[in-house]
Amino acid sequence: MVTKTVDSYHFDKLEETIAKLNEEDCTIIAGGTDVMVLHKSRRGVAPKIAGPVVFIDHLSELKQTYLAEGNLHIGACCTYGEMLEHSLIPSVFKKAIREVAAPAIRNRGTIGGNICNASPAGDMLPLLYIFNAKLVLRSFLGDRIVEIHDFIQGPRRIARQQNELLVEVILPDVVDEESTYLVFEKIANRQADAISKVSFAGLLQVKDGKVADARFAFGAVGPTMVRSLEIEKKLLAKGYPLRAEVLEEVVADFSSVINPIDDQRSTAYYRETVALKLLRYFLTSKELS
Amino acid sequence: MITKDISQSVVKKDHVDKVAGQLPYISDVKMEDMLYGVLFRSPIAYGKVLSIQYPTLPEGYHVIGAEHIPGGNFVKILVPDQPIFANEWVNYIGEPIFMLVGKELKVLYQLLDEVEVEFEEHEATYTLDDAIGKMTDVMATHEFGESLQSIEKIEQEAYQIIEEEYETGYQEHVYLEPQGMLGIYQEDKIQVQGSMQCLYYIKNALISALACDDDEVRVIQSPTGGGFGGKEDFPSMMACHVAIAAQVVKKPVMLLFDRSEDLVVTTKRHPSKIKYKTALDKEGNILSMSTEVFLDGGANTGLSPVVLQRALLNSAGVYKIPHYHAKGYVLKTNTVPNGAFRGFGAPQSFAGIESHMGHLARIAGKDPLEYKRRYLVKQGDPTITNGRFRDPVFMEDMIEDLLETMKYRETKEEFTRFNQQSPRYKKGIGTSLFLHGCGFTGSGERDHIKATVKLLKTKEDKVLVKISNSDMGQGIFTTLSKIVAQELNVPYEEILFPYPDTKDVPDSGPTVASRTTMIVGKLLERAARRLKEQWQSGAEQEIVEHYVHEEMIPWDEKTFSGDAYPAYSWGVNMVEVEVDSLTGNVQLGEIHASFDIGKAIDERIVKGQIDGGMAQGLAYGFMEKMTSKQGKIQQRSITDYGPPTSMDIVHIESKLYDNPYAGGPYGAKGVGELTLIGGAPAVQSAIEDALAVSFYQIPITPEVIIESLEKREGEAVDKI
Ligand SMILES: Cc1cc2nc3c(=O)[nH]c(=O)nc-3n(C[C@H](O)[C@H](O)[C@H](O)COP(=O)(O)OP(=O)(O)OC[C@H]3O[C@@H](n4cnc5c(N)ncnc54)[C@H](O)[C@@H]3O)c2cc1C
Repeated sequence: MVTKTVDSYHFDKLEETIAKLNEEDCTIIAGGTDVMVLHKSRRGVAPKIAGPVVFIDHLSELKQTYLAEGNLHIGACCTYGEMLEHSLIPSVFKKAIREVAAPAIRNRGTIGGNICNASPAGDMLPLLYIFNAKLVLRSFLGDRIVEIHDFIQGPRRIARQQNELLVEVILPDVVDEESTYLVFEKIANRQADAISKVSFAGLLQVKDGKVADARFAFGAVGPTMVRSLEIEKKLLAKGYPLRAEVLEEVVADFSSVINPIDDQRSTAYYRETVALKLLRYFLTSKELS
Repeated sequence: MITKDISQSVVKKDHVDKVAGQLPYISDVKMEDMLYGVLFRSPIAYGKVLSIQYPTLPEGYHVIGAEHIPGGNFVKILVPDQPIFANEWVNYIGEPIFMLVGKELKVLYQLLDEVEVEFEEHEATYTLDDAIGKMTDVMATHEFGESLQSIEKIEQEAYQIIEEEYETGYQEHVYLEPQGMLGIYQEDKIQVQGSMQCLYYIKNALISALACDDDEVRVIQSPTGGGFGGKEDFPSMMACHVAIAAQVVKKPVMLLFDRSEDLVVTTKRHPSKIKYKTALDKEGNILSMSTEVFLDGGANTGLSPVVLQRALLNSAGVYKIPHYHAKGYVLKTNTVPNGAFRGFGAPQSFAGIESHMGHLARIAGKDPLEYKRRYLVKQGDPTITNGRFRDPVFMEDMIEDLLETMKYRETKEEFTRFNQQSPRYKKGIGTSLFLHGCGFTGSGERDHIKATVKLLKTKEDKVLVKISNSDMGQGIFTTLSKIVAQELNVPYEEILFPYPDTKDVPDSGPTVASRTTMIVGKLLERAARRLKEQWQSGAEQEIVEHYVHEEMIPWDEKTFSGDAYPAYSWGVNMVEVEVDSLTGNVQLGEIHASFDIGKAIDERIVKGQIDGGMAQGLAYGFMEKMTSKQGKIQQRSITDYGPPTSMDIVHIESKLYDNPYAGGPYGAKGVGELTLIGGAPAVQSAIEDALAVSFYQIPITPEVIIESLEKREGEAVDKI
């Protein structure tokens, strides 16, 4: 039995990588922590990866984090470990990162990988959604910028062309963490190496006793993150603390858009109940002015 | 090193090899010409095999099936109902039907995909509740205690009768090293090596399957990365598979499971349902209690009847209950067979009785611990089988001491205040009281096991321990060497204790039932003492010791009466939790545990048993969740099953009480299983305390908690 080996590319430069992607349909490997699990074979047999593989996590162009015109740019191949150390990464992201996997995976796994893997339980996604993240996709033709909610289409389904590489994540108008109430909650069966059963990210700004901004995203309760601009809009300019009717309406609205499933990790009932409890708690637990 | 007190900790004999990653486990072994085996497993829960269509096999690839078994097609354990290869009827999803053997795993997996088997499917029993509904397939049953008529009379006059049903779930062993077995063909002899707890169980199974003589099979333990009971009964089947294959192909055959295969097809802790019916007087005092235990045996009998015995013998916990009756059943379901697991039926029973006693306390308006203490057994009290607790019982001292260390009353008051102010997080404290009978039940050691140990002294004056017990991480290489060394007054490092090989070790019994240190250790102590008396420098000497039964109240297995165990180890656990009422997540707070294990042979090794056992026991109560849907195990990865990580477990503050038992070496009793038993009930009691809600099942997962809290909220709204 001849075992066919796959071609693999490891270019020094981003440019060459992009050029290669234009020539061939490659499996992109950043940290490989999703790819290797996805293609895992049974005991004693190498992973099954069809077609050539291109490694990207060594490319320094993909590891930059910087501020430009008030926007925070995070390189697609920044690992969780690197982001934890970086002063520009918002602390609510760091909170989320500390709950991802365990140190070994955090040293390999990247933000770009988390986005492109597009798991409903991806732990960077709820925050990226409420931060209105934009993604820079590069091909030999140039750059294209896509909103994260347009890019992620379903479990493992993304709007990436075969010749494109995700190079950067942009968090526009980075919110001031001082004056904004930001929360991330990951609910899982244990405190490390666990996959979210429910996750929640919330953002709330109150000015002069009125809601100035409200954003929410829920993970692991549907095929992609659940966010609703429509529901969020209803809260704008409402008096804070919220009146009971307003609160009930928001909770009821979300209850009709959150439709989770039963699986080996949890139940639909639990997921929906807890998602709504977290929302309600978020909207009522803090004194803001 | 020679220690003054045997309890003083030493470096484990296998420490360096393990820490350096040098120790070759069975999956590290490669032999020339070695072939791999992969099992074709039943995709259906219950049915008849009509036809099998094998793919065209490349050269050097073989099908090994029932037709190759020289002996009977069953794995010899208690009842011959477990086929080695299920070629006629399949009884659970994952049951092996045949094995493909060949050089490349990749080819073997492809061939497996090409197999076509036609079945006639029959209606399966998927759950314990289904089985209880039918009561048609009873694999074992026992009943004992006061007659039901006299209990009925008491019930008629009682102030009230409390009936409760309690459920416990699966538990998976999650030994670090998945199962693995290697069969080697050698000049008409078969040798089997692998990860195992019970060499002679395997040897006996092989003699039966191969229909061969005692000297035609040889079993060698390879370094074993954890067992917890999972490598007690299960490896016998794998040993039969590789031995039969090796005999046919006349080459070494290796069978290794990866984690997901291991999770789905190997034995688990029996799910159970326990029913309590308790008569109370006006003040909430117990007048009588009757208990019914139902164990889900899975698809074949395995060790379930013995597990049921221990479950029943522990069904009244550490309490002297007036007018007690117990009955129990093992029921067959078409699910993966359940088997031995640290505690062996006792963890289910203790979770149940501790829960029930806690609920009775609430009815009586008492603190659970205070209520339980009124019923605690004392030295001299009868057991529920009319045996005696002959040795001193230190439970009261252990409880008093822990109450003080934990500042129980102040802590409770502080938690009450905290809970009033905190809308989200709720704190609670819970206690469990428990014991474990050491060694085999009743006269098992005398009638069934008949342990023999051997010490061999070489001409060079080296002493070798020759027993059939496995070190699977629990540390018997070290502890038993220490016992022998102490008697001979030599450093423990000088005692040689190779991995056991049935070719040159006698049957000292299986490595189970918290018996190794107490029973086998005692025999080695005696052997070492005799060797010392007879020591002749430069001469080869052999000392053999046989089990001697201690006089007790004779055990009668039919009536379930007499002394069920020669000795008991005892424990008290106190656990604090903080429950997130929004998510149902439970965070452990301070944990304190006290144990009476007679005498620690090595304090650090005992501490390892305490920390590991408690982590496993606590997690059984609120984290580890395995479910079966239409006969299929749903959790195929460790992540999904959710055993605790080091971030979930907190520091465990533990204390040992010396209470030497004359029948154990240096006074030692059993420790391995005891440490698991109190975790789940303590955590349940703490969660109930935090939320002021009663639970009737473990694991109390966040899903269970949220459902209960929502239900309570709903009821509160209904009342308004
Ligand atoms: C033990 C373990 C625990 C885990 N725990 C968590 C957890 O708690 N939370 C969580 O969210 N995830 C978890 N994961 C999943 C995984 O680690 C994360 O999703 C991680 O961020 C993936 O990053 P990566 O760089 O390893 O991705 P890779 O595996 O390299 O890639 C993932 C996917 O994205 C594509 N891709 C990667 N980078 C790019 C790019 N720049 N442009 C285009 N396509 C790209 C790949 O082709 C692939 O399809 C865990 C994984 C493991 C193995």
